[in-house]
Amino acid sequence: MTDTTLRIETRGLGRDFGGKWAVRELDLSIREGELYGFLGQNGAGKTTTLRLLAGLLRPSAGTARICGLTHERDARAVKQRLGFVPDTPPLYDYLTGRQYIALVASMWRVDRRTRDERTERLLHLLHLADVADELCKGYSHGMRKKVHLAAVLATAPDVLLLDEPTTGLDPGSTRRLKDLLREETQRGTTVMFSTHVLDTAEQVCDRVGILATGRLRAEGSVAELRAAHGAASLEEVFLTLTDGDAATT
Amino acid sequence: MKLIAADLRALANLPASPAGRRIVFGMGIGLGILAAMSWQLAALASRHIGNLVARDGADDAPLLGLLGHGLTICPVVATWTGLAMARQQLFETPELVLWRQAPIAAMRGPLQVFVRAVLVSTLWAATLSSPWLVTVLRQTPAPPLAYALVPIAILACTAPLLASMLGVQIVLVRFLSGRWLRLLLALVAALASVGFPLWLLLTLFRGGRERIAALSQAAADGGADLPPSVAAAARLLTGAATGEPTLPNLLPVVAWLAAAIAVLLVAAPLHSRAHERYVESDRPLWRRRGRWSTSLTANMRRKEFAQVIQQPGALIGFLVFAVLVFVLSQRNVLVADILSRHLLPRELRHTAAMLTWWFLAILLVLYAHMGRLALWDGRQWSLYVSSPAHPGRILRGKLQAIAVFLLWPLVLVTGAGVYFLGADASSLGWFAGFASAGSLCALGVVATIGTWPRLLRPDADGQILQGGRSFLAAMVMVTTFQLTMLPAILAWAWLLQRSARRQLPRAAVLELAPTALALALAYGLLVAALGTWLGQRNYRRLLAAR
Repeated sequence: MTDTTLRIETRGLGRDFGGKWAVRELDLSIREGELYGFLGQNGAGKTTTLRLLAGLLRPSAGTARICGLTHERDARAVKQRLGFVPDTPPLYDYLTGRQYIALVASMWRVDRRTRDERTERLLHLLHLADVADELCKGYSHGMRKKVHLAAVLATAPDVLLLDEPTTGLDPGSTRRLKDLLREETQRGTTVMFSTHVLDTAEQVCDRVGILATGRLRAEGSVAELRAAHGAASLEEVFLTLTDGDAATT
Repeated sequence: MKLIAADLRALANLPASPAGRRIVFGMGIGLGILAAMSWQLAALASRHIGNLVARDGADDAPLLGLLGHGLTICPVVATWTGLAMARQQLFETPELVLWRQAPIAAMRGPLQVFVRAVLVSTLWAATLSSPWLVTVLRQTPAPPLAYALVPIAILACTAPLLASMLGVQIVLVRFLSGRWLRLLLALVAALASVGFPLWLLLTLFRGGRERIAALSQAAADGGADLPPSVAAAARLLTGAATGEPTLPNLLPVVAWLAAAIAVLLVAAPLHSRAHERYVESDRPLWRRRGRWSTSLTANMRRKEFAQVIQQPGALIGFLVFAVLVFVLSQRNVLVADILSRHLLPRELRHTAAMLTWWFLAILLVLYAHMGRLALWDGRQWSLYVSSPAHPGRILRGKLQAIAVFLLWPLVLVTGAGVYFLGADASSLGWFAGFASAGSLCALGVVATIGTWPRLLRPDADGQILQGGRSFLAAMVMVTTFQLTMLPAILAWAWLLQRSARRQLPRAAVLELAPTALALALAYGLLVAALGTWLGQRNYRRLLAAR
């Protein structure tokens, strides 16, 4: 019987680039309202996985389901329920932040009233209200990330994928982002994000998955992983699982 | 010296990468063609030059004038480099951040920009002027020293002007910075970018034996009217060619170079603050504050308009295009033959001339508009792919904006027709009708070719790029558009045939025109509909996961 609370489900998911597998045999099951951290070294396959889930890349092997739907068969329905924040936000330099959010909201068919309400709330929460009418060209990397995050959250996705969301953010913004993600999961949004910052993962994630050379090496809550590897911290677990790969890569 | 060494190393590394090889190849081809054209021009003039130099044997004035004429190309090149390229280097080059952070003198950055600008302009100036200079020197018993001094003479004609222009721009931005100055500088740079190739085509390389003879004579007579830095350099070469001592003639040249560097050194310390103020002034000239709708098609259309209105560079592009169209029209480019066919009714001649200008104008903008469909949104492609929006709605919004932009050539040519031809209302009406049909064809072609997946490729990060296929894409676009225009070309050939047999009275033209216009509009609508349909198919493929 199908588990209706599963929001992200992959089975044997893999992607190769010219014979080199970036991700392989990936099995993930992430539930509604769960905050899932995806950890791994540079080049481990985190971004490729997120891009596969976001429908930007086709899998070379296996399947990925979002809310029980696949990109192959129900592309638009999947995308309607999905939000993706890449590491490099795809902002238009010569639109203002507010115009950009309006454009993204219209792509997701958000009605005007809802859009305006959400936009104001998110701009306020992310401390962007003062710069929302400035051109995106002048934004710092962190501001660009926050504007794109606001645009994506204005579409109220069921599943939110974030690639390195804390990179480039100041401590205050990082804190607000964590709170916002927690708030979103309490509403039932499933959040999956990749990160190098183990502290962030340790603080906010319900579960984490550790990826190395394209394979999922361990998965569970931080406490479970520490217990399973007899480690005092997530960092120790991470290094135990990935150091061998670092030596060979 | 470290910065110069780094630049030289970067230049040497160019052939090591495919992108660098493309730059070297493109630059080599461009300069090679210009060099060949310059040699051709000098070769055509060599007989006249020989006669002029021999006729006034003992008198140096013709030689001074002829050499000076060759060197006057250099300030033009320097003006182009200083306005079109050096401004961007002074205030926008990515290395500025490093230079300003580094523990080096504050003036080192602008000096490096000056060195780069001198290198580029001397290379271009040498390509364009040395064939003429060498041709002139070969008509005299000039020793090898005279030929060896040619690069110094060219340098003396480019560097002072470049230094002054860089210095003036630094001072202006330092003390008068603001969005209007920024717009003015960008406008001047854009006009210089367009003006230089126009000057090459319409002035420097304009052919005709009589013109070349007159040019040589004027050059020989014009020694007294040379600008001071050019006159100093011309005297250096003339003296070397006639066996005068070099040092007295070299001193003024060195003085000019020293003065140039001094001017720059005075302005250079202001560069750091000027750069800050330039960055601060980067705001849109005018921002639309209206609320955006929830319709994706309407928002895509608004986005395209906003990106033009809120981006001074894009707006300037439209203004520069207007100047270009008016210059081409003023020079009667391609239409002299049409206008001289007096067997054709006047309205028809004017309509045909305006349609020719419109055709030329629209060819110039097709590639840019094609970019709006996919290429210019390359960085945003991941947003489009991950959105649930129907690809057709995104494309429709963009095509609606492009349809409006395509009216710009029509409007400009209408203005040029009134101003330069004195076209009457009936000619303007026919022109507007036929050009609208042509614009529909252009829209169909842009929709099809601008979205053709084979001409675009997503990179590893999901961006859409054209890479080395941009030239191919431009060729495919232009050829396809020309093919869609074939019925109009055939109709024109038929009209010319009828007029040659004196079978085309004015009444017959007026009788035929409404039917021809109706057919043209129907044909335009058909091409636009077909192109949009193909474009939507292509867009779905482009927006699929890879």
